[in-house]
Amino acid sequence: MGRLARELWLFFWRDLAIARTYRAPFVLEMFEALFGAAMFYYVARFVDSPALTRELPQGGSYFAFALVGFAFFDYLSVALDTFDRSLDEARAAGTLEPLLVTQTSLPVILAGSAIYPFVSTTLRVAVYLGWGAALFGFPLGAANWGAVAAVLVATMLAFSGLGIFSASYLLLFKRGNPAKWLVLGVSSVVGGMLFPVSILPPWLQFVAKLNPVTYALDAMRDALLAGAHFSKLLQPLGALLAFAAVLLPASMATFGWALRRTKITGTLTHG
Amino acid sequence: MQEPAIAVESLEKLFPATRSGWREFLQPFVRPTAVALAGVSFEVREGEALALVGANGAGKSTLLRILATLLIPTRGYARVGGHDAVLAPRDVRRLLGYHAGSDLGFYSRLTGRENLQFFGRLNHLAGAEIDRRVTRLGKHLGIPAELNRQVRTLSSGNVQRLSLARALLHSPRVLLLDEPTRSLDAVAAAEFRRHLRREVVERGGTTLLFASHALAEVEQLADRVAILDRGRILALDKVAAVCARAGAATLEEALFRLTGRRHGDDAESEKAEP
Repeated sequence: MGRLARELWLFFWRDLAIARTYRAPFVLEMFEALFGAAMFYYVARFVDSPALTRELPQGGSYFAFALVGFAFFDYLSVALDTFDRSLDEARAAGTLEPLLVTQTSLPVILAGSAIYPFVSTTLRVAVYLGWGAALFGFPLGAANWGAVAAVLVATMLAFSGLGIFSASYLLLFKRGNPAKWLVLGVSSVVGGMLFPVSILPPWLQFVAKLNPVTYALDAMRDALLAGAHFSKLLQPLGALLAFAAVLLPASMATFGWALRRTKITGTLTHG
Repeated sequence: MQEPAIAVESLEKLFPATRSGWREFLQPFVRPTAVALAGVSFEVREGEALALVGANGAGKSTLLRILATLLIPTRGYARVGGHDAVLAPRDVRRLLGYHAGSDLGFYSRLTGRENLQFFGRLNHLAGAEIDRRVTRLGKHLGIPAELNRQVRTLSSGNVQRLSLARALLHSPRVLLLDEPTRSLDAVAAAEFRRHLRREVVERGGTTLLFASHALAEVEQLADRVAILDRGRILALDKVAAVCARAGAATLEEALFRLTGRRHGDDAESEKAEP
């Protein structure tokens, strides 16, 4: 195993070891997912109609559409949250400086700290879908799991850039992040979480095209509900990777610059 | 000529004034005006122990943090093992062990041993080697049993010992310690000083730069002492030479005389004079 993989694994091991000391929240989250799936099932039963189903890009039920949208919207929240949350926790616990004086590079520290949250979110999403399939007839039979995995990886990469921007903001300004709330707010309207983007006015559809969430949810529904082949997913996957190619280096450069500023102003550990 | 382990030249560090309210948004861009270091120059030879002594706010911690690559100086340079702390921070960190003097800095839900394993591996030590070193350091620092307890259950003195173990774990060439025995009891502090002097500096050849308010500790550990005041070095020499230069019998008296502060004994004798 290469040094990079060993270092990344180390961060995952650290977070897993910490999480193992808090078992109750994990169990509660599993049941929270059950309630979430049940809620969408009954909302869908209430609103579902042939006209509504015709509007859904992948066909199928509104329940399946909404559950995938809600479950995968978690990824955006985690990506936006995980970097600044781990930064904030490290600052509060005083572990930020000891981490920064080790021989491990900053990008590895950042990437490593994001692995566990992404893995646990994947598990949570799987539980959501599992409850949906087991109790409410969510259709898992058609899924193309290889494509699902590819969309997940591309989604994580694209969203991580946004998360690192968010952490840069926190590093500099110490509190709250209006950009994070703006991205989450805009995405909840134009990302296609609970309704298809096609029902939006044209100018909002244009905004949706600039948002990686739209591509992620679209591709995920295609892969999971319609079992789409890779060839059909090339466009959204390409868009997500293009977002990642722009956002990741730009956000890393911004984070590096923000870190340098805090080393100049002496505010690295200030909360 | 051999490269000094630490070389600091004309080092200046200014901090910006703290803003509050909506002006806090400008904080990252405020011009620095508050002087923490005002042109400090010195060298520490390979295997030498140098103590930084001075009042609170003299600039000791700022100096250590610049060398640890956690602060960027305003002017001048700081080098460790020939590597510039600003231009080549990763090369510097490869040589460093750093103890910040606080009893924070650990994952409280992990055990001491797990924490040391984590940080040891981030410094590219192998698992078996870490286990061996952690056990040895645990014995030397008097915390063999405590290593297996969650950090949140440890006293601040034991967390500080854990922090010292972390700084020593990867056998760094240069050790930066900020008030290394601040939270330790008298016996633990004495044992740690003995270990540091004999095993780490004399036997291991590690270069030691440390800040301390405990002057007995300075006399016991340091080959030379630098007296800092308001960001400047007032004297840098062997303890005896610093005392002689100040016309003082003890390092404490020398500190008072060189910094221009009134020593308790002087004040008493002045009061007693007619």
